[in-house]
Amino acid sequence: MSRRDTLIFGCSALGHEVAMQLSDRGIDVFLYSNDLDEVGALLAKGLQAGVVDYTDDEKLRDIGIGNWVKTIFCLFSEEPKNLFLTLSARALDEKLKIICVCESNASAERLRAAGATKVIDPYEISGHRVHELIARPYLVEMLENAMFGKYIDIAEIEIPEHSTLSGVPLNDLQLDKRYNLIVMGVVDLELGNQLIFSTSGVAHRLDAGDILVVIGPMGEISRLKQAVFENEMEPLPGSRDP
Amino acid sequence: MSFSHRVIKQCYAMEGSTRYKGLKQAVFNLLENPRAPIRPYFDIFMILLVLTSVWMLIYEVKNDLGLLGDIFEIIVVGIFIIEYLLRFWIYNDGHKTILERYERAQFINESFHVWSALGHASLEKLRYIVRPLAIIDLLAIIPSYRPLRFLRIFLLFRLFKLFRYTRSISEFVKVLSEKRIELVTLFIFMAFITFTAATAMFFFEADRSDPQISGFFDSIYWALVTISTVGYGDITPHTTEGRIVTLVLIIAGLGVISFFTSIIVSAFGEKIHEIRAHRIFSEVERKHIDTLICGFGRVGQVVAERLAADKQMFVVVDPKEENVRIAKKQGYPAVLGDGEDNDLLLSLGIDTRVRRLLCLTGDDVVNVYITLTARQINPGIEIISRANHRENVTKLYRAGASHCVAPYEVLGLIAAEYAGQPVAFEAVYGLLTGQSHEGIEAVRIQQGGVLDGQPMGDVDFRHRKLTPFGVIRKGDCEPGDSRYPLRDSCFHFNPRDDFTLRADDLLVLFGHEYSVVHFRDCLERGTL
Repeated sequence: MSRRDTLIFGCSALGHEVAMQLSDRGIDVFLYSNDLDEVGALLAKGLQAGVVDYTDDEKLRDIGIGNWVKTIFCLFSEEPKNLFLTLSARALDEKLKIICVCESNASAERLRAAGATKVIDPYEISGHRVHELIARPYLVEMLENAMFGKYIDIAEIEIPEHSTLSGVPLNDLQLDKRYNLIVMGVVDLELGNQLIFSTSGVAHRLDAGDILVVIGPMGEISRLKQAVFENEMEPLPGSRDP
Repeated sequence: MSFSHRVIKQCYAMEGSTRYKGLKQAVFNLLENPRAPIRPYFDIFMILLVLTSVWMLIYEVKNDLGLLGDIFEIIVVGIFIIEYLLRFWIYNDGHKTILERYERAQFINESFHVWSALGHASLEKLRYIVRPLAIIDLLAIIPSYRPLRFLRIFLLFRLFKLFRYTRSISEFVKVLSEKRIELVTLFIFMAFITFTAATAMFFFEADRSDPQISGFFDSIYWALVTISTVGYGDITPHTTEGRIVTLVLIIAGLGVISFFTSIIVSAFGEKIHEIRAHRIFSEVERKHIDTLICGFGRVGQVVAERLAADKQMFVVVDPKEENVRIAKKQGYPAVLGDGEDNDLLLSLGIDTRVRRLLCLTGDDVVNVYITLTARQINPGIEIISRANHRENVTKLYRAGASHCVAPYEVLGLIAAEYAGQPVAFEAVYGLLTGQSHEGIEAVRIQQGGVLDGQPMGDVDFRHRKLTPFGVIRKGDCEPGDSRYPLRDSCFHFNPRDDFTLRADDLLVLFGHEYSVVHFRDCLERGTL
């Protein structure tokens, strides 16, 4: 069995959806459930799935938790199952990324206490979406039709060591002129993993290890990635950069 | 022109006149239409009028009110007479009855008898007079006519007029009338017991030397007082036989009372939801609520919370009592019922007033059904539907949904984003849930405003801590260098400095909500 570093637990419609999205992005996943019927249904749809008793720590270790697995998704439809799995997995591996779904704010708290890295509330998101459709329909259409993979993508770019970019203030990057990209913000891991928004007014100077979050057409993103990798930035159009 | 011609011409004139119809509709709204906004005020006015006039009648029994009282009485009676006549007028359309007859006669080539048609029309009209509430109205007026003063006691009928103006009393009567069969059964049973007991009592007690019961009326009176468990004790049995009758009657009385109570309680138990729903219907009508949420699960609750924060009004429909209770606790108007229920949707005004329907139940079958029904009733309505499975999105669109929201799809998107780019994820999650203060907002360029005709390069966005994200412009667009087609507009991503803004463009900005609000404020005041 190949060693996959992303596992999905729970094979309901949700697990199926996440697996599809991840596969679309080229991430290889394996689904697990303790329900034979669900697994059968997914296998029939051509996904890789297997049965595992998640209550048994030995079995979890066998499939790689605490070893090579980096991320797990707890997508059971019942909260107790997610909670139990989160607790078990966290006990096995301190660094594991555990992403859980929750049904309410209260259960989000519980899951976080149990050790989930990130708790996602699908209902909250959908509710917000519906509200946006009512309040700002044109923006939703733009986000839906242009963003998230269709034409425009969001990407993160890490500043390498000895980059010409280190020391440059975030505001002076002007990627919108050089590359047709918009900088949403930057994450300085030394300051914590909060995103510093480019519009927040904080005069942040880039340094190696920072992660830039940019939005733009996919071609431009890869052009910027290339440039950062080769350490050769496009000059500002119309200006004579020394 | 013959008389018959003149009548017909007059009838057609009435039928064609918008003023006449408008006037009649206005009177109808005032007097009859339970959902007209003016109706509650009229009702309260009439209730106060009735109560004041009845109070004056009571006061007048022992005191003299003088001229002022008389004038007030005349005004009240005047209002009552006008109301009676108006109700008589709006009861039906006399001219329509005549026209119907005339047209039918024309159609089958028969001669048209104007007198018979007029007679028929007036007969129809006169039907109003024999309706119970109309009789009450009349009896509330008549005793004020001096020669009929002896009918003064009928002035009590003014109190009965309150039926017209208070919905709870009329609802009470309606609920009871639905239990007619039970009530009639009970009444017959009670009449039988009372009569039997009264006869027995009369038989045993009336022929004693010192009788308390002198006639049959006395024994009926005694039987009713006893059976109702009131028991004044002014007439009591003195013979053993009489006491035995009393014992039986008391036990029967307990049965009658409890039966009566249970009928009323069960009648209200069955109807209480309907009564509550009616309240909501009229509230919805009165407040011009135009958003309907079907399904108050977690998604529905989140939407409701956001809408309430925007001060938008909406009404909730959910088949689960618990969800309705949650909605009510939050202070939202909520109706217990199925969204599939056509009549319920119509009562909430889906054919006329509702502009937006949100199908947010957890069951796709229900969502599709509601979407389809609503779309057929009202082609112009905006329907936002929730799709719980990805394969149902197309079905929902085909059923007529304007937009679909798929919770799992969004979640899948986010989860995938997280697995690949955990940092960008935070930003996307913030954008998608609206939880962060930084976000994407749009500003519309006003005709002749400060930004109309400005090139992008001349606006100092950075100084305002904003990043121009793009411009949405109406019209077609050829896909090309950072231009992306939307449904009926074009999205220009990251516009260049020489991009000139035009009126009606939507400028999409990225930034803190305060910055956007401030920017909008500046645009409004024209001081950029």
